[in-house]
Amino acid sequence: MILLRTLTTALLFSVVASSALAQDYFISDAKLVTNTSKGIMENADVIIRAGKITQIGADLTAPAGVEFINAEGRWVTPGLFAPFSRLGLMDIGGEDVTNDTSSGDSETSISELASDSFNPKAVFVANTRRMGVTHAVISPSAAGDSIFGGTGAIINLSGAYDSIETPRAFVHVQLGESGTRRAGGSRAAALQQLRSALNDAQAYPSRYQGPEDGDALSRQDAKALVGAARGDMPLLISANRAMDMLNIISLKDDFKNLDIIILGAAEAWQIADQLAAADIKVMVDPHENLPSSFDSIGARLDNVVILDKAGVDYAITNASALGIQRPATLAQHAGNAVGNGLSWNKAFAAITVTPAKWFGLKGSLSNGEAANLVVWDGDPLNVTSAPTHMFINGERQSLTSRQTALRDRYNPTSNDTRPHKYR
Amino acid sequence: MKKSIRMALLGATSLALLTACGDKKETEAETQSDKRPAFASTYTPQPSETTLITNARIIDGTGQEIENASLLMTDGKITSVGTDIRAEADITINADGKYVTPGIIDIHSHLGNYPTPSVTAHGDGNEVTSPITSEVYAEHGVWPQDPGFDEALQGGVTTLHILPGSANLFGGRGVTLRNIPARTVQAMKFPDAPYTLKMACGENPKRVYGNKGGPGSRMGNVAGYRKNWIKAQGYKKKRDKGGDDFKRDLQLETLADVLDGKILVNMHCYRADEMVQILDLAKEFDYKVTTFHHAVESYKIADILKEHDTCSAMWADWYGFKMESYDGILENVPFVHAAGACAMIHSDDEKGIQRLNQEVAKTWAHGNRAGLNISKAEAWKWLSTNPAKALGILDETGTLEVGKRADVVMWSADPFTTYARPEKVFLDGALLFDKESGLKPKSDFRLGFGG
Repeated sequence: MILLRTLTTALLFSVVASSALAQDYFISDAKLVTNTSKGIMENADVIIRAGKITQIGADLTAPAGVEFINAEGRWVTPGLFAPFSRLGLMDIGGEDVTNDTSSGDSETSISELASDSFNPKAVFVANTRRMGVTHAVISPSAAGDSIFGGTGAIINLSGAYDSIETPRAFVHVQLGESGTRRAGGSRAAALQQLRSALNDAQAYPSRYQGPEDGDALSRQDAKALVGAARGDMPLLISANRAMDMLNIISLKDDFKNLDIIILGAAEAWQIADQLAAADIKVMVDPHENLPSSFDSIGARLDNVVILDKAGVDYAITNASALGIQRPATLAQHAGNAVGNGLSWNKAFAAITVTPAKWFGLKGSLSNGEAANLVVWDGDPLNVTSAPTHMFINGERQSLTSRQTALRDRYNPTSNDTRPHKYR
Repeated sequence: MKKSIRMALLGATSLALLTACGDKKETEAETQSDKRPAFASTYTPQPSETTLITNARIIDGTGQEIENASLLMTDGKITSVGTDIRAEADITINADGKYVTPGIIDIHSHLGNYPTPSVTAHGDGNEVTSPITSEVYAEHGVWPQDPGFDEALQGGVTTLHILPGSANLFGGRGVTLRNIPARTVQAMKFPDAPYTLKMACGENPKRVYGNKGGPGSRMGNVAGYRKNWIKAQGYKKKRDKGGDDFKRDLQLETLADVLDGKILVNMHCYRADEMVQILDLAKEFDYKVTTFHHAVESYKIADILKEHDTCSAMWADWYGFKMESYDGILENVPFVHAAGACAMIHSDDEKGIQRLNQEVAKTWAHGNRAGLNISKAEAWKWLSTNPAKALGILDETGTLEVGKRADVVMWSADPFTTYARPEKVFLDGALLFDKESGLKPKSDFRLGFGG
């Protein structure tokens, strides 16, 4: 018994020790998507030491003590970056007590941090990780009479308690039908709430002398908007109608420093040149092609292709089909953009390096960068492919999850004859 | 999540009460003089030309994949399939090695009864006025101008089954449609396809009616089914006997038709244990559950489903949006198939229906990664063959066999990849979508928004 306890202690200690002193890795013979000027390299080797990529090239010599992973010519890429999600903000969407994505009855809005609600142990995190997503934007949603969802974060999908990479990464605001409803019933009211809030933030703290001060925001929310109002962090605005997006462009006349990302942007193709000229970024879902509402009458499959030609800076989301809760199908949506005419490299960048850079991360593979990468068993944008290995900040990740545990228990190829609950 | 939106709309749509249509004798008399029963199919295929597709890689839906094959369509029917075909045709298409497959069949769609745009006024899929509404017909809520039909066609869907929603224990009758661009739902109805009955398990009915007189629990759900099957048994006995004092009851008529084996039961059910309760219920009242829909936990009871010859219509990877869907795995479809039970894909979604081939490709690959060895040709059955079987139309469509309706898709690439799109879609031999020429339908709704 004492021996067993000693052994357990030793095992525990070794786990702790290995995570503190990261293992080094040598990945050989990769079809390496670098997302840099080096493009896609065939037969490339990658050396990971102390959590970082230290060398990329052909026929490298492995340092002593590394663990070998032979990619056998298969794809190795930067980890996928989900540009918009609610990962870790809910367990069951339909069960209010487990769902922290919005707070209709709270007194606060912008000052609410998604990172405070984030649970890295929510099963969707590991279930999504094993589909190749290493990083994600997590965003709260607007509720009650505020058009502001709150302040969103960037997380990695290690599932570790320290997986929040940027707790204050952007502010989310909803225009379009949702914002219209919350602001009191008209687009005019929603836009005015946004303008007033930005004015409040710009005038913070001088405007706030008494408890009732501020046109649209309380003191704490005005303070929380200061960064986005100054352009120090992105202002992420949900909108789909072209006219709403033109109004957002006009907003930049009064608030010149805003770093605007439009989420949805179903009709963006109609005003692609204006978006490019105004340096406004968009997140689009290449599956959106139906007039789901009167905001997106012009939705079409090649939206992203037209935006690309016009030089708009775009990321690809999987906002439809439950993608917000679980962005596991992100690569499929990028793959469909390819099916509709976008180049593979551009589609892949739109779910990795492009959105990563918007939020201050790298999303590429080069020397000196944190090792966030995935080894795939096929083309990562093909629905039949899946990761075989993953690293986040140089640490090897588990590709098991609650879903794989259920799969293994009920796998028809299993020879286990014990009752299911004993497997 | 679309489902929760639909459920959220319930409050608003519940005001739209069904206008009572009594059992008027005049109506019957009129119908007889018209010689066409009310609401009967008026479907007529579009004119077609004799078409020969050559040099194709044919997945035929019976489990075969044939290289360098040809397919001949004559008068809307498949008249020849194979590698040794010499035929004269009005049109010959060299497929150049591309894949040719049966048209896709979606057994679970709300196109038309939850159409886009998703405005409140379009919520015609759930009759949320009582948990028992077996008297309503999905077809009476289908709007043929839903732009989703046109997009589904471009995704290779040639037949689809429109169901009432899942708010009620007995939701009403479903309808099987040809995906033909038409002005009326009658013109879309699959001729002589059996009617179906939508029933629902679990969370939805008890949530919707928990504060409206019940059911408020799974116990109440089952009691509700049993009470009404007992009523249906009594009604059936009276109907069988006939006579002047027999009075028609629309609600019980649907249930009695199920007991007579004329209507196929399609039941929304997520949890494994609950599906087995329902199989016992069916045994008690001597009817058959044809297909469980969503069936997120079918992989846990695939052996029992096989034993009962009950199909499962499933997603590739939707799960976790409510408690009863928490245990979804990516291998559900192949695991059910591997156990020898009837498995198929379904969409329940106006976007998912446009790329069901990708959903099958995904779950097929996950299954093989988990140790199965299922061929593409075998997995194709989840897209057309098994849904056709479950809808009682396999003798007419679902495979590329001689004599069947020529519902055919030619693909730009391997349909088991993300990049493939349908290039040509034939319905009864008529070309309804052609990427090359730009031929495609356009809903009235989409006209004139240019400003």
